[in-house]
Amino acid sequence: AELRLAHWLPPQHTLQTTGFEPWIQSIGEASGGKVTMTIFPAQQLGSATDHYDMARDGIADITFVNPGYQPGRFPIIALGEVPFMVSNGKSGSKAFDSWYKAYAEKEMADIHVCMAFLQDPGTLHSREAIKVPADLKGKNVRPAQATVASYVALLGGASVQVPAPEAREVIARGAADAITFPWDSVYLFGIDSVTKHHLDMPLYTTTFVMAMNKATYEGMPADERKALDDHCTSEWAEKISAGWADKEQSGRDRALSEKDHTVYKPTAEEAQLWKNSAEPLMAKWKDQVKAAGADPEAVLKAFRDALSAENALAE
Amino acid sequence: MTSLDWTAVIGFAALFAMLAVRVPIGVAMSLVGVGGFAAVAGWRPALNQLAISPIRTITDYNLSLIPMFVLMGVLATRSGMSKELFRAGQAWLGQLRGGLALASISACAGFAAISGSSVATAATMSKVALPEMRRFGYSDKLATGVIAGGGTLGILIPPSVVLAIYGYITEQDVGKLFVAGILPGLVAVLMYMACVYIVFWRELPQGMSIAAGERLASLKGIWAILLLFVAIIGGIYAGVVTPTEAAAAGAFLTAVIGIARRRLDFTSILNSLIEALSTSVAIYTILIGAMLFNYFLVITQTPQKIAAFLVDLDLGAYPTLWLILGLFFLMGCILDAMAMIILLVPIVYPVVMQLGFDPIWFGIIVVVTVELGLITPPIGMNVFVINSINRDVSLITIFRGVAPFVVADLIRLALFVAFPSIVMLLPNSM
Amino acid sequence: MDRLTDLLSRVTRGVEITAGLCLAVITVVIFASAIGRYLFAYPIPDSFDIARLLLGITVMWGFAALGFSGRHITVDILAEAVSSRLRRMIDLIGQAVLLGFSILLTWKMFTRLASAFASHEATFDLRLPVWPFLAMIWLGALASIVMAAIRLFLLATGREPALHDRKEMIHD
Ligand code: NA
Ligand code: NA
Repeated sequence: AELRLAHWLPPQHTLQTTGFEPWIQSIGEASGGKVTMTIFPAQQLGSATDHYDMARDGIADITFVNPGYQPGRFPIIALGEVPFMVSNGKSGSKAFDSWYKAYAEKEMADIHVCMAFLQDPGTLHSREAIKVPADLKGKNVRPAQATVASYVALLGGASVQVPAPEAREVIARGAADAITFPWDSVYLFGIDSVTKHHLDMPLYTTTFVMAMNKATYEGMPADERKALDDHCTSEWAEKISAGWADKEQSGRDRALSEKDHTVYKPTAEEAQLWKNSAEPLMAKWKDQVKAAGADPEAVLKAFRDALSAENALAE
Repeated sequence: MTSLDWTAVIGFAALFAMLAVRVPIGVAMSLVGVGGFAAVAGWRPALNQLAISPIRTITDYNLSLIPMFVLMGVLATRSGMSKELFRAGQAWLGQLRGGLALASISACAGFAAISGSSVATAATMSKVALPEMRRFGYSDKLATGVIAGGGTLGILIPPSVVLAIYGYITEQDVGKLFVAGILPGLVAVLMYMACVYIVFWRELPQGMSIAAGERLASLKGIWAILLLFVAIIGGIYAGVVTPTEAAAAGAFLTAVIGIARRRLDFTSILNSLIEALSTSVAIYTILIGAMLFNYFLVITQTPQKIAAFLVDLDLGAYPTLWLILGLFFLMGCILDAMAMIILLVPIVYPVVMQLGFDPIWFGIIVVVTVELGLITPPIGMNVFVINSINRDVSLITIFRGVAPFVVADLIRLALFVAFPSIVMLLPNSM
Repeated sequence: MDRLTDLLSRVTRGVEITAGLCLAVITVVIFASAIGRYLFAYPIPDSFDIARLLLGITVMWGFAALGFSGRHITVDILAEAVSSRLRRMIDLIGQAVLLGFSILLTWKMFTRLASAFASHEATFDLRLPVWPFLAMIWLGALASIVMAAIRLFLLATGREPALHDRKEMIHD
């Protein structure tokens, strides 16, 4: 089969070069060259927000989806966005995939979920030091996703919702005081000259899904489908995200090594303050999952267990 | 050629056929886009593009600055700001030989600083400045040429709807693009003025005497425009506001100033809203079509192939750039400026980036090239607008009058290519 | 202008006024939110989503009005070179294609509306459901069919002058 893979990152992004491309090559080899894919990067086939619908409707055969772009639509997977759960993106992705596989078919019924994975945990990068939750009061923050936006509002800050191209300008010129980003993105977007303070905590992650068109998937010959299935595993969820996670982590090392950057590690007490301050978000998540007809406690326990098993639960 | 290539060729042929029978540009692009996508990927996905993409386009926050900047320009026109700009220009430059032509050019530039549209700039100035020039013995050719040319500054001097759309398509910071348009706009003003003196010197009427008091008095009339420009573009430059917020503030403040000076009432504001809406929706229709048409082109891999072809020609960076600009110039003779940006930029942008040019700089270069399309035959929107307001001046006369300014524009284009720092000085200092 | 065209012009005007006021609301929401954020670190919650969804409604209703007034951006080079009889034919074809497109768009937009209704898509801050906004957009699409059809009818029966030239339109 010749498949179209659509995503919304630039073609030179680490996820494409260290994730998608090796993945596609491995599928090609496993299928004896029968399954090939053409990558359509950078929203070439549709807006980033629409990538779930694009897989559903067959506009592309496989798409890279950020379920958080449509708050409320996928309540269960949103657990991955709740702050202070995941300590690292690599084994965290493995755990995340194995956990979400149990719910995927129901929550994302009109597509075939190949696998789910996570972005390496991001944190707050700010112009002035932010050490405790109270420091966010009155601050303008560019949030990474809807859950972080709620969190900022909860702590008395304001979210600055600006489109990605304007994000770096907004912080660079001081219209925002802080931004939530994974570590290396600070350097990638060139805001390291402005945000000299970093909170050393795995504050949040962003969730992703590789979504497949159902008809395409079901219409594949058995041998080709097997080759694909063998690449839609929790092991591959870790592999596909690993290069990107390493890249983001290198940003933390860099910030630690640079003299003009301050990486603040909260004390045990302060860390507890942060965790307590995020509790209403967890309560909100539970309400939404309950409203969607699932048992939030069971879902949460399953996630914690999966993370513990992979040593990826934030303590 | 592969079957994908043929699909793309047939798609372009169908597009031009539909355009010929006056199908709205955006609708023609939408239909060809969907049909072409269907030919490659099947009808179900193609029709579903129609379900997803248009709604995404019209609810895109990043585009909301377009109707608001259009609104600001319409409100400025209706509050008579163009008249005051011309008066000020007249008071300061009127005593020079050919002073009214110079005043018209500077008034065009001033109006461009609060309006995002070139055609609007030409339209309003031809109502204000043209009668005056004709009254004082300027030839129709010169008078209309000056305004057709000066009007093109509307999309170069910020704010600019065309630059905003370029930024949207290429994901570049609109604020930077706006700021990058300032110096090139000033260079254009000087070159147009030089052009008036060099080409039309013999026929220029003498200057008139202006009382000193008149000069100061004229400044009182334009404080509102200065205030708006400083607030909007200064706010963007200083990083106090995002371009979208600047657009909202600009439209809002223009209305407030108009009301405070008793130039605007409820009815005129309502009419401005409707006019701005209808102009914006016409743009949105093209944007909807452009997205759908682009998905079709992308799935046939046409932009990728054209990019590869241009790169493989191996002409070197500058010859390839000129080749692309030549294409824009030719298409500009018949195509709408907005449609051209939307249709061609996604195709050539990857090549230009691969050649190592700066995306902000290229945005300005493209706008200067597209500006030319507004004043070149057979379809030149600025010329048409002036003709529709002054039926007694023939199209031929206006095209002949604006011809020297086309030459000035070409020289200016070469200047910006040779000295990119003219464009990049201000945005680099942000 | 006979009574039918007169009535239709009034309806169009009503649609335009509503959409125009909507544009004013969007402008004020974005402006007020910016002020709120800078002065009080309190932006209007959901101003981002509300502004963009209102914008979608405004544009779609404006699209309907444009289908009646015939002020879309077109390439006029051929139409202006031919006889007035041929030009009328061209205008009829152009308007018929616009009508066809409006029908197609309305049909497909309905599936998008249905999907939003089923999937509980919500706004960023206040988690308001998105589908009522999409329903308003869809009604605009529906109106665009009616408006384009009426104009086609007027053109075909010779009651509307050939698409008036839109040289006074300002769009770039
Ligand atoms: Na302008
Ligand atoms: Na032209």
